[in-house]
Amino acid sequence: MDYQLMYDITPLLLKAAWVTLKISFWSFWLGLIVSSILVATRLSGILILVWLSRVYVSFIRGTPFFVQLLVMYYGTPAFGIELDAYNAGIIAIGFNIGAYMSEAMRGSILAVDHGQNEAARSLGFSGFSTFLYVVLPQAAGLMIRSVGVLTVIMIKSSSLVSIISVVELTYQAQRIIGSTYKPLEVFAVAAVLYLIIIYGVRYIIDRSYDHYTRYLH
Amino acid sequence: MKLNFVPVLSYFDSLLAGLWWTILLAVSAGIISVFGGILIATIINYTSRIVSAPLRFFVWLFMGTPLLLQLWLFYHGWAQLDILLPAMFIGIFGLGFHYASYNADVYRAALETISHGQYEAARSLGFGHLRTLFLIIIPQAMYRSIPQLGNNLIIMVKDTAILSIIGISEMVLAAQYAISVTYRPFEFYITVALIFYAINLILESLLNHYEKKSLIKL
Amino acid sequence: MINSKEKAMVEVINVKKSFGDIHVLKDITLSVEKGKIISIIGPSGSGKSTLLRSVNHLETIDAGEIWFDGVQVNQPQLKGRAFEKHINRIRQKMGMVFQQFNLFPHLTAIENVTLAPIKLKKMAKKEARELGRYFLAKVGLTDKEVVYPSKLSGGQKQRVAIARALAMEPKVMLFDEATSALDPELVEEVNQVMKQLAKEHMTMLIVTHEMNFAQEVSDRALFIDEGYVVEEGDPKMLFNSPTQERTQLFLRKMLTE
Repeated sequence: MDYQLMYDITPLLLKAAWVTLKISFWSFWLGLIVSSILVATRLSGILILVWLSRVYVSFIRGTPFFVQLLVMYYGTPAFGIELDAYNAGIIAIGFNIGAYMSEAMRGSILAVDHGQNEAARSLGFSGFSTFLYVVLPQAAGLMIRSVGVLTVIMIKSSSLVSIISVVELTYQAQRIIGSTYKPLEVFAVAAVLYLIIIYGVRYIIDRSYDHYTRYLH
Repeated sequence: MKLNFVPVLSYFDSLLAGLWWTILLAVSAGIISVFGGILIATIINYTSRIVSAPLRFFVWLFMGTPLLLQLWLFYHGWAQLDILLPAMFIGIFGLGFHYASYNADVYRAALETISHGQYEAARSLGFGHLRTLFLIIIPQAMYRSIPQLGNNLIIMVKDTAILSIIGISEMVLAAQYAISVTYRPFEFYITVALIFYAINLILESLLNHYEKKSLIKL
Repeated sequence: MINSKEKAMVEVINVKKSFGDIHVLKDITLSVEKGKIISIIGPSGSGKSTLLRSVNHLETIDAGEIWFDGVQVNQPQLKGRAFEKHINRIRQKMGMVFQQFNLFPHLTAIENVTLAPIKLKKMAKKEARELGRYFLAKVGLTDKEVVYPSKLSGGQKQRVAIARALAMEPKVMLFDEATSALDPELVEEVNQVMKQLAKEHMTMLIVTHEMNFAQEVSDRALFIDEGYVVEEGDPKMLFNSPTQERTQLFLRKMLTE
């Protein structure tokens, strides 16, 4: 085990890990937005929107993310859209994770007891206000765990953007392996960094979960 | 926006050839992941914590790092040990071990749901420890894991696309070759996606059908 | 049926309601004058809850009219946002108390009570809190102000629910089997609050299984069965010497349970 090498490559990999974090950060929020749109259209009751939402989610979940990424980067120029790899990556991840999140969101919104809706409506709240003040706060607690699991999966999927030459953690690891021929050492450092990122995210999710469910205890 | 799917039609047979390899890869890796998972889960659950520690470590490691990174490790790792393996092997085993970890998790959960009473009943009938495990507990755990295992397998089929990165000639690589000649990335990638989608729908309906049938059995 | 020259607070006129093939309300007509307390009794499935819920349009009736304080509640000609606005305005003047309490679990007792005044009446937070404290005191829960519903007993939850409904200063209170989900020893504290409201001449429509309570508190009682009003009249008379045989059968069954 070449410990000296591991020590030497750490700064490089740290920089690349930071890129992974940035990508994950932006993809997460894009995913939430996409997810919210999907849930809103799915629960809207307008048939064409419901259908579109279902088809989108089904397609995204039923096809490999890698292929979606390739379409987003290599396929979009056919429509006159030129995306750089970094943005293509974020958009592809966001659109992908949004589909999965929408199922979690929808499930938790529907899981909020219908009586809550009735109580709020009987006080005179509009449908939207009821959703905002009564249903959503409760659904949040229910969906955080699932969203957390999805976020971890998303961070691992982000490794695929290395293929379109985004200099994130996996890309850098592969490059270093290619020049040093010490895959085990490089893998070890890269793995540790991924695990730190993932545990960091898990921590944030757990604290958020505690916050949103504090009224339950 | 000028899409032209004609080239896709002319290269369709190569895509289908790639599909054949995709299926082969999925089946091979699937078998490894299913049985590897059982093995791992059994060892972890039924041996001392010290003995199972390295296995638990690897499961944790494989579940917590990206598949692609693991593939790079294997791809270059064997070469470093001067063992030349065809990319196909590395792909199948890499994918297989990755999902064996996830399946082991599923099995372990299933093993825990089988009440201790079953174990006691078997022992009191005279079954030895190992025979109880292999004849009574593990088969039940396997049966209960099937839905989640099915889901994992469906996910794994999609991950075969990643194997194109280490040069395995499955469907995505076939498409990329065609793209390098015809310059129609969108058309080919969308077609590949649709083929995957079709496979996914078939597999999901199979799983659904099986779940319905087994519910009736219970 | 009492005919009054004074405009009734709530008027239900020839109301019909079906759920699919099941005709829950076949033809109901009922009048509630201001300050009166009407109790509605009947077997499960008789439609009494559906009737109550139609008053604030939680259920949409198929035919007939429902009037509240001179305004028609169900207005089939109004659609979409216009109807939304109309019905929200009406509901703000009504209060409903549910069998399952339906307190907002993510809010404390006082937050439950003040949410609607703050968001709907645009009340200042300070003012709303004063109001909240007043109503919590009224139901006897001053010390539970900052407590979350998960820490309250059933009776306490229901009392907070009543305070929450009262905080909007409604003109009518609708009680949908308010004590049916409570353990017997917790029923009395809720009944006390309702009795107090009755003394203050709040207009109340009470759907209940509690015959004794209904007799004590209400000005008029209705027995509904299979979608029709079978009998209506003075509570003492209806509960003790009903004229209709179905009423007698029902009361006998209730007594033996």
